[in-house]
Amino acid sequence: MINAVLVFNNNGQPRLTKFYTQLDTAVQQRLLSEIFALVAARPNSACNFLPLPPLLAPPTGSSTASEQNDAPSLVTYRHYATLYFILISTSTESPLALLDLIQVFVEALDRLFENVCELDLIFNFETLHAVLGEMIVGGVVVETGLEKVVEGVKAQGRVAKRPVNEGRVGLTQGIWAGR
Amino acid sequence: MFEKDIYQLIRGLRSHKGNEREYIQDSLRECRREIKSQDMDHKATALMKLVYLEMFGHDMSWASFNVLEVMSSPKYIQKRVGYLAAVQSFRPDTEVLMLAENLLKKDLNSPDKVTIGLPLGAIPHVINASMANSLLTDLIPRLSHSLPAIRKKTIVTLYRLALVYPETLRPAWPKIKDRLLDENEDPSVTAAIVNVVCELGWRRPQDFLSLAPRLFELLTAGGNNWMAIKIIKLFSTLTPLEPRLVKKLLPPLTSIIKTTPAMSLLYECINGIIQGGIMEAAEGTTDGDEVARLCLSKLRAMLVVEGDPNLRYVALLAFAKITSSHAELVSQHQDVILECIDDADISIRTRALDLVVDMINANNLQTVVERLLKQLRTAGKAPEPTDPTTEDRGTHDGIVPRADEDDEEMQASIRPKEQKPNTAPPLPDDYRTSVIERILEMCSRATYAHMSDFEWYIGVLVDLVKQCPSSPATGNFGSHHTTASKDRPPNVADAVGAELLNVAVRVKAVRPDAAAAAQNLLSSDRRPDFFPSAGSGGQAVLASAAFIAGEYASLLPDAEAVLTSLLQSSASTQQLQASVLASYLQALPKLFAVLTTRDPHAPWTSTRRTTTMLLIARIVHFLEPLTLHPDLDVQERAVEYLDLMRLAAEAAASQQTDDDEESGGGGSSYAAEPPLLLTQAIPSLFSGMELNPVAHAALRKVPQPEGLDLAAPINGSLQMLLRQADDYDTDTDEANDEVYKFYYDKPSSSVAAGYQRPAAELLEPPTSASKSKAASASYQDAETEPLDREAAERKRAERRERYKDDPYYIDSERASGTSTPTPMHNILRSSSNGEELDVDAIPVMELQLDSKDIPAAPRAPSANDKKKKRPRRHFEIAGDETLEGGDDMPSVSSSASLSSKATAGARGTKKPSLLEVDSSGLSALSLSDDAAARSGATGRFDVERRQAEEEEMARAIREVERLRLEMQRAQERIQPRGALAEEGVVVTRKKVRKKKKVDTLSEEPAAAAADDDDGEEGGTAVKKKRRKKRKEGGEDSVASEKPAADERDSEVPVKPKRKKKRQVTFDDDDTVE
Repeated sequence: MINAVLVFNNNGQPRLTKFYTQLDTAVQQRLLSEIFALVAARPNSACNFLPLPPLLAPPTGSSTASEQNDAPSLVTYRHYATLYFILISTSTESPLALLDLIQVFVEALDRLFENVCELDLIFNFETLHAVLGEMIVGGVVVETGLEKVVEGVKAQGRVAKRPVNEGRVGLTQGIWAGR
Repeated sequence: MFEKDIYQLIRGLRSHKGNEREYIQDSLRECRREIKSQDMDHKATALMKLVYLEMFGHDMSWASFNVLEVMSSPKYIQKRVGYLAAVQSFRPDTEVLMLAENLLKKDLNSPDKVTIGLPLGAIPHVINASMANSLLTDLIPRLSHSLPAIRKKTIVTLYRLALVYPETLRPAWPKIKDRLLDENEDPSVTAAIVNVVCELGWRRPQDFLSLAPRLFELLTAGGNNWMAIKIIKLFSTLTPLEPRLVKKLLPPLTSIIKTTPAMSLLYECINGIIQGGIMEAAEGTTDGDEVARLCLSKLRAMLVVEGDPNLRYVALLAFAKITSSHAELVSQHQDVILECIDDADISIRTRALDLVVDMINANNLQTVVERLLKQLRTAGKAPEPTDPTTEDRGTHDGIVPRADEDDEEMQASIRPKEQKPNTAPPLPDDYRTSVIERILEMCSRATYAHMSDFEWYIGVLVDLVKQCPSSPATGNFGSHHTTASKDRPPNVADAVGAELLNVAVRVKAVRPDAAAAAQNLLSSDRRPDFFPSAGSGGQAVLASAAFIAGEYASLLPDAEAVLTSLLQSSASTQQLQASVLASYLQALPKLFAVLTTRDPHAPWTSTRRTTTMLLIARIVHFLEPLTLHPDLDVQERAVEYLDLMRLAAEAAASQQTDDDEESGGGGSSYAAEPPLLLTQAIPSLFSGMELNPVAHAALRKVPQPEGLDLAAPINGSLQMLLRQADDYDTDTDEANDEVYKFYYDKPSSSVAAGYQRPAAELLEPPTSASKSKAASASYQDAETEPLDREAAERKRAERRERYKDDPYYIDSERASGTSTPTPMHNILRSSSNGEELDVDAIPVMELQLDSKDIPAAPRAPSANDKKKKRPRRHFEIAGDETLEGGDDMPSVSSSASLSSKATAGARGTKKPSLLEVDSSGLSALSLSDDAAARSGATGRFDVERRQAEEEEMARAIREVERLRLEMQRAQERIQPRGALAEEGVVVTRKKVRKKKKVDTLSEEPAAAAADDDDGEEGGTAVKKKRRKKRKEGGEDSVASEKPAADERDSEVPVKPKRKKKRQVTFDDDDTVE
């Protein structure tokens, strides 16, 4: 299952934090900065899997495989322009499929905001949560279809754009690089 | 007052560059005020702002009650904010959770479909065991909601319910299963169910075997890649239980591998084939062979493909899973895997490294190690350990939302953009460390089974020293916390040193090489080569090097140079760790002994005397300052050897040389002998039996001598002695001595009294006995001393008798018989404490003897023997020594069971990983059909039964209440005010008043009327009673279910007790309805 979803920008400032276990705010922040430290050190050519940050590193000493299945063992990330999207998950998830999931998430945002940029997410973090809520409930993926996710969010009410005077609308439409 | 909305807050943050902290504190204060406002809009806005700030680490747990208030708002927009706040801020210890339960139930049953989604999303975050049970009854009906979106969320929520309270899955599972089997179900709901089943599957795969046909159908139908991946993952846990599945699965999996355009699905197919054991199961069949070939070729292609490091990464993961079962298949792809060791990406490198360690054999060991070494050499070391706290803003204080640098960047559309340089960063220290550890692991595996060239290995080890990452915080010199140096975390340089030592000890043939390597490492003029940076990462290796140099001093190319280097290190002692220094100290006298006895037959000339004296003087010069070293170990050794050296100097100075005798005109014709202290006594301290590796478990196998009672006090009067020692301390004025004063509180310290004692005593190892002896000698304790000596003498005689025929036992007399008696030895032997020395020596000596008799190696005895005989390798590797015995296996297994017990214990108390959601509760819950049927036969499900009971109870209570009201009305109508039927009047009136209070509006115009009527109607109490009874009987026959207790109550209507009861039932009624 998925243990946490994080979004932060190139400076490590969080834009979305969602933990599927109840965690102390201070611990959340520490985890966030540990992961940011890891991810910021990687060149763009590197692969999209991170080693476990110290907070999540398994305790020394062997434990059986079945126990490891419950513990988070996979940190997957994707980097889009100014934002990092991070998924922390257990071994029951497929690493490559998680990358696709992030892609769906971002595409859904793009669909809702029309050429989404970081500012949209800053001002509409409630919508960001709503999109995530349509895709993942309680750490289990409930929807991977782009159309259905967008539909689900739209059913909850109008999606606000960011305030108009907050700068120009995003740059030119481009093609999503998918894997 | 309402200050600003969320947009304004964010804008404010963005515009307050530099003083964000202040701005946030202001905003938080504002929120605290606003959230108390009566206006729900203000409340919700304040909450929204708090949620935003919470993301940056500003605690909002204080607002949990306000969260609840907003959650219960009738407006969806506000409710949504409340739920979001609950999800983000509720923690296990949030107390208002109990109050939220009813709200969640209410919203789950909301007619508005959007509202239902809110609790469904929030419950997984806040659920606990006590809530789970009561929410279950509201969740299950949602499984058949008309909207697929609600159905799928319900399924997942039920799964999270089961994680905290497994029993809840029992009533829910059949319904979920029906949904899965329903072919007309919405595909996205089916996919969600498959996701949940996959999560459940690995815990109890046997329960899901019955679903295999349906899952197979879904897999072959295709369409949803995510679901297909999950099904394959689920199947890989099922195949071990149902071998027939393998045959069934092979064709579709093969076709997916061949046809799918989705790389993730392709990969998971291969992964599923590996993990499900399909490869082994299908081995030998044509299909199986084909699939194995197909998988490996695809994996290989993934490794080779350009431009996608992710594929390389996951392919290595898959390879790592195959190695355990198909090592030979994997090693066919060695070439590409080895390429990955040099990948620019450290994640990939680490994976490759893990894999390579398992692939190593005698043929490729050197290539791989050379490759890794080259990598270490060429990649620059990480910049001097920078404190991450200074680098990353807010590593420890949390992240402060900063005013954003430039809006331009933020407006950049979020799409992949090459931004950062693609150059590989310098190797981080932990990677460096792990490479070194892996090299050591590969080389030393199975007692050097793959090693064919030890000279090369020593070269590698010396090279590795240079590559050790610099470790911060060395040299706790000056700090009086002496234990710190021993407690410091093991350094990788220690491991390298240990390997060097291990090779030197085990492989006789390369000892000269090892000694030469040690000399190089120690040599002070080559220091900059090996330990270039200020960080002393590799320095820990010096301890081992010094030991080798000391122990094999005779093999050193230039012992004198080593001695000089060691002595020169005094200039840099400030940099050396105490443990290294202690090792230096131990090596010094060994080197000295070798240097002075290099030519045993050389005459004792004045030149030789001068050289010796000079050597001693240099050593003394080195040792003297160290007697005040803060580390006790260093200090003790320094003090001991300092006195030894002074003794040697005395002996050398007083010994007549050749020249002296000639000039003195003595008639002796033979050449003068060098002093025995130098030629015999000192070397005999360090030579003797050769050191051999000892198995870890060997000590445990040493038989316990009969009659050895470890619990018995060694010296019965120890307490008294200590007390006397204390008294003595406080009484004497010797404490004026500065050194003494320094150690005032440590009377047992070896320096305290050590200076003026006879050398013989200093030569004794500092056993507890010698200490007590020292204490008694210096403190003039005549009382206990003879007693002790007598007892020791007696014990010694006894022991000698007992062990007379024991080959394992080395008697001090017998052992020392091998060396010529010298004055020194006489002193040693005549000392009453010589005996105690033997006690300490027993295990070591035993093992030594044993090794001659029994060539048993504990780890892999047969392999070891084979190795020794193998002709192509001319290296002889000494195996670990251990005691022989029939209990070899049992003791091994007992140690294994011990360790397994230890891990079991550790597991029991193991702290779960930070984000872990524990699902272990599910493993005990059986969901299989027959289990369900069984529990169905014995009765209804627990939850359902309880629910039915509750309903029945509510019905009964309503009924009773209705009857009573009726009765009351009748009674009031009948009862005349004038009929002062004793107690009846008072009670009736009270009753009426009470009633008015409880429900004023609903029914009591009638009651009021009755009240008025009371006086006019002239009925009697008797009449009233009779009437009531009649009525009661009639009702009874109708409502047969009414509980007896209530019946009794209504029969005796006029009792204060009943009134109380009535009120209670009213309350109940309210909540039920």
